[in-house]
Amino acid sequence: MSSPVTVWRHHQNIRNYLGKTGKIIVWTKVFIAPAGFEHEAPYPVAIVEFKDGFRMPLQLVEYGEKDLKPNRRIITVVRKLGKVGLDEVIEYGIKAKPI
Amino acid sequence: MRIKVAGIGLTKFGELWDKSLLDLALEASYEAIEDSGIDKNKIDAVFVGNMLIGKIAGQDHLGPVITSSLGINCASFRIEGACASGGLAIHLAIQGILAGTYKNVLVVGAEKMTDAPSHQITWALMGASSSRERKAGLTFPALYALMTQAHMQKYGTTRKELAEVSVKNHYHASLNKKAHYPFEISIEKVLTSTSISSPITLFDSSPITDGAGAVVLSADTDSRGLPAGRQVFITGSAVASDTIDLAQRQSLSELKATQIASKKALEQAGAGIKDIQIAEVHDCFTIAEIMAMEDLGFCSKGTGGRFIAQGATRLGGSCPVNTSGGLKACGHPVGATGVKQIIEITTQLRKTAGARQVKNANIGLTQNVGGTGATVVIHVLQT
Repeated sequence: MSSPVTVWRHHQNIRNYLGKTGKIIVWTKVFIAPAGFEHEAPYPVAIVEFKDGFRMPLQLVEYGEKDLKPNRRIITVVRKLGKVGLDEVIEYGIKAKPI
Repeated sequence: MRIKVAGIGLTKFGELWDKSLLDLALEASYEAIEDSGIDKNKIDAVFVGNMLIGKIAGQDHLGPVITSSLGINCASFRIEGACASGGLAIHLAIQGILAGTYKNVLVVGAEKMTDAPSHQITWALMGASSSRERKAGLTFPALYALMTQAHMQKYGTTRKELAEVSVKNHYHASLNKKAHYPFEISIEKVLTSTSISSPITLFDSSPITDGAGAVVLSADTDSRGLPAGRQVFITGSAVASDTIDLAQRQSLSELKATQIASKKALEQAGAGIKDIQIAEVHDCFTIAEIMAMEDLGFCSKGTGGRFIAQGATRLGGSCPVNTSGGLKACGHPVGATGVKQIIEITTQLRKTAGARQVKNANIGLTQNVGGTGATVVIHVLQT
């Protein structure tokens, strides 16, 4: 669980990565998830490369099995990260959607 | 550099529910001190390699936890460098001896992992990754799965070649009574086991293990207690770093830190990779051993899978690798692994490895990796 202030600080950076397009370099499907992500497993995560050459790891959303391949084009979107308790702050972050 | 490995001690590796971290650390420490023939009051410093105990049991300040139980008042340190914590502890102990600050040093690598549920261990291990990787829901199997995919895409490495790593290391572990999994497995077993993070399966992965190892290192280079030719010395010790975030690497299918640290350590030892007769490398996942073979220079880039599948690194091959069973089958108590690697090579060079003895081995190498290669520690040992 992240503290409210770290969630707030992380949210300041979301805009810097929103709406960027790029491509999948490599991907994997996670079957055994870490704490907070168990309810989403299995889910795919890819290292994506944006048009400016910057790379980062992103969870893929709204995908089909046919999208899980190198060079598949993606766009970054805002989504909820993991699962939190009823009295905890919901954290949002960047994920990638095939286009 | 010529640092004597004066004594070694190693616990059984496995799910050791009847033993605490302290029980394991002390068992290994007393064995190493007795093996060294050095009075415990002549130990000048204790370096403890450990990654997780603060997170999963709330116990920090581990140096004095060990020294107070040993009943000594020397300097003590806890060293953390993810899964390279043990190797880093060895490296720093050597620096203390080389600086002339200490003469005799005890290095303990210890980890108690099975007290916590697996999802908590998975989360705690991710402390060795980047913030971006944690937010993406990645795990260490998933990070190594990404490297596996990159290696398969670039070089055509196959699932069967990956499985050969596990099969070989389980064979070696079947000859090691201290291994977590001392039994053989088949290629079929690896290929059909549960998927952890595609394409990595359960049997591509090292287990969650309890265990401890300890060594006494000494500036004293006499050969007391052991016959000539069986005294073991560390002659090279180097550490290198790389980006904590895997995505920022120039290449996803190699560990630059292994290349840098091995070059330095071999130069210190006055040796080349072709001189190495035995190695313990960091096979946390099968792809890691394949990349290690390539990055250390045992074979050319992209041929590691075939090199291992052809039997060169199996007992009886040209350079046996992971005769202990490696992380995969001997087990991976993360803070202990780097120390266990030194113990295995020392045992081999002393010619006391029993059924898994490599004939005429006089020079060996260890590779201990932290995270996805953000830290790599290389040691060279010689008789």
